[in-house]
Amino acid sequence: MRSMHPPISRGPAALPSLNALRGLVTAARMGAVGTLAGWPVLLGRGCFYVVAMSILAALWDKVAAERVPHALALPVGGLAIYVGVTEWIMMSTPAIHLRLEDDIRSGALEVHLLRPKLYLAQKIAETVGGLAARTSVIAFAAASLLLVSGRVAPTPTAFAYIAVLGLVGGMVIVLLYAVTGLCAFWLRRTMPVYLIVQKMLFLLGGLFAPVSFYPRWMAGISEASPFAAALYWPGVQALNPSAALFWRALGLQVIWIGLLSALAALVWSAGLRKVLRQGV
Amino acid sequence: MSAVISVQDLRKQYRYAKRGRGLIGALRGAVAPEHQTIDAVDAISFEIAAGERVAIIGPNGAGKSTTLKILSGILEPSAGAARVFGLVPWLQRKTLAYRIGVVFGQRSQLWAELPARDSFALLRRIYDQDAATFARRLDSLVARFEVGDLLGQPVQRMSLGQRMRCEIIASLLHSPSLLFLDEPTIGLDITAKAAIRDFITEHAAGEGQTVVLTSHDTRDIELVCDRVIVINAGRIVVDQPTDQLRRQFLGRKLVTLQSAAARITIDLPGILVRPSAPHTTILEVDTRLVRVEQVIATALKDGGIEDITIEDPPMEEVVREIYASSHQ
Repeated sequence: MRSMHPPISRGPAALPSLNALRGLVTAARMGAVGTLAGWPVLLGRGCFYVVAMSILAALWDKVAAERVPHALALPVGGLAIYVGVTEWIMMSTPAIHLRLEDDIRSGALEVHLLRPKLYLAQKIAETVGGLAARTSVIAFAAASLLLVSGRVAPTPTAFAYIAVLGLVGGMVIVLLYAVTGLCAFWLRRTMPVYLIVQKMLFLLGGLFAPVSFYPRWMAGISEASPFAAALYWPGVQALNPSAALFWRALGLQVIWIGLLSALAALVWSAGLRKVLRQGV
Repeated sequence: MSAVISVQDLRKQYRYAKRGRGLIGALRGAVAPEHQTIDAVDAISFEIAAGERVAIIGPNGAGKSTTLKILSGILEPSAGAARVFGLVPWLQRKTLAYRIGVVFGQRSQLWAELPARDSFALLRRIYDQDAATFARRLDSLVARFEVGDLLGQPVQRMSLGQRMRCEIIASLLHSPSLLFLDEPTIGLDITAKAAIRDFITEHAAGEGQTVVLTSHDTRDIELVCDRVIVINAGRIVVDQPTDQLRRQFLGRKLVTLQSAAARITIDLPGILVRPSAPHTTILEVDTRLVRVEQVIATALKDGGIEDITIEDPPMEEVVREIYASSHQ
């Protein structure tokens, strides 16, 4: 069967991967613009960060002053800054799992399947754009709080390490949430899976306390997990900034981004097969 | 003309696990589920030539949307064959995507919180359009649809009619040769419906575009399409030119009169009075025998009319009539 229609206009056929990359960059930019467009929410998030950190910092200062420094030889006030870093990452990460769940459950996914580009990659790119916008705004709130608190601030080098590891750590969480959201193909509601991921970030990720506080064997497991790659390792730079730890952390994050991307692609592929067979 | 769409003995069955009643039923369903199979599409065959504008109509659950989904590649059939531009849609979905445009009346393809302009920019990347062609095409569509002032407005702040115009633009930006429209005018007011019908008709005629449309609004079918495929319970009941269908089945209007008097009597040919509550008179008007304005003028002459509504008969009724006629 032949069509009488001429082929449609397309970009340079020799550079499909460049076009795909441009598409992802545009999606990321849209994610960032969309996040900034909802500035009242972003402002509220920044304010909530300040309130939460004021409470947590006071708690950790008291704990550190009374007991922890003797046991762990951490810098005074360092734990508060550690929690400031982990909370900054957590609060900057957009809830991609809710968007995926919504698209899958509502059937809106069909609209995206009608396009020639991979839906999941577009969604992740959009979310990473949103992550970049949020990390910038909440970093501003964190820096303001640090200035007002009169604490000893980390060195500029430590700040640079934290900025890079924080953003990449946020990407690890985005991928964890993406896999969670894709479970909607089978579970419809992903809240049970999300709660597990959230608790793992809390416990194995060291959201409120460094995982080095755990018994050795448990600390070892936690440190190697994707949850620690997302939170603990960026936070460590607030306690013990070093180039060696930075590269080790970045290496771990890159490995987890690779593994979680592969897992997300696998789950997406299985979910897509189900949808094409049974409908949304 | 060559066939753009070719469908042979296409079937789609959905299999559901039945749920029992109460706790015991739920337990039984979990241990030994009982399945039920539904024929959503049951051995349909048809061809659509390039440039044709075809309506696929039928009551809810008839299999229209399932057919559209199979043809656009987002659903695999259980059996049968289908080709669109020579491609097997569910196996070559991404290649086909460059050649088709799809509008779902009840689903948006635009990013709600962002201006339509940003969505269009991302669609350019998604469809690998070069900047100059894209800009030219966007300018032309925006001018034709008169949405220049809306491009900077977040989509979620647009009215349904404005959003639908932007949805159609989004589906046409990559110059598709085939347009699937699933209930494109649902929920719109009369003016917005007319604007969208005019645009689709003019655009498709101007570009030689093939259009496949599903709708519950008989006016969409009459004004946009030149051929109608009626589906009921997954099977094709009728496949004929719109003119022929109009003469046979689409020549009726429902005129509802609210009046101070308990009942209005109009003595004109081609009018059938339907049962209704007191002070409401529902007239089924055969427009081949009498014009609606004549009916209204007669009703107004008698006085006491408080409200008038003119509607098409529900699609379910039209299809039932077609179905009954095809079995006589």
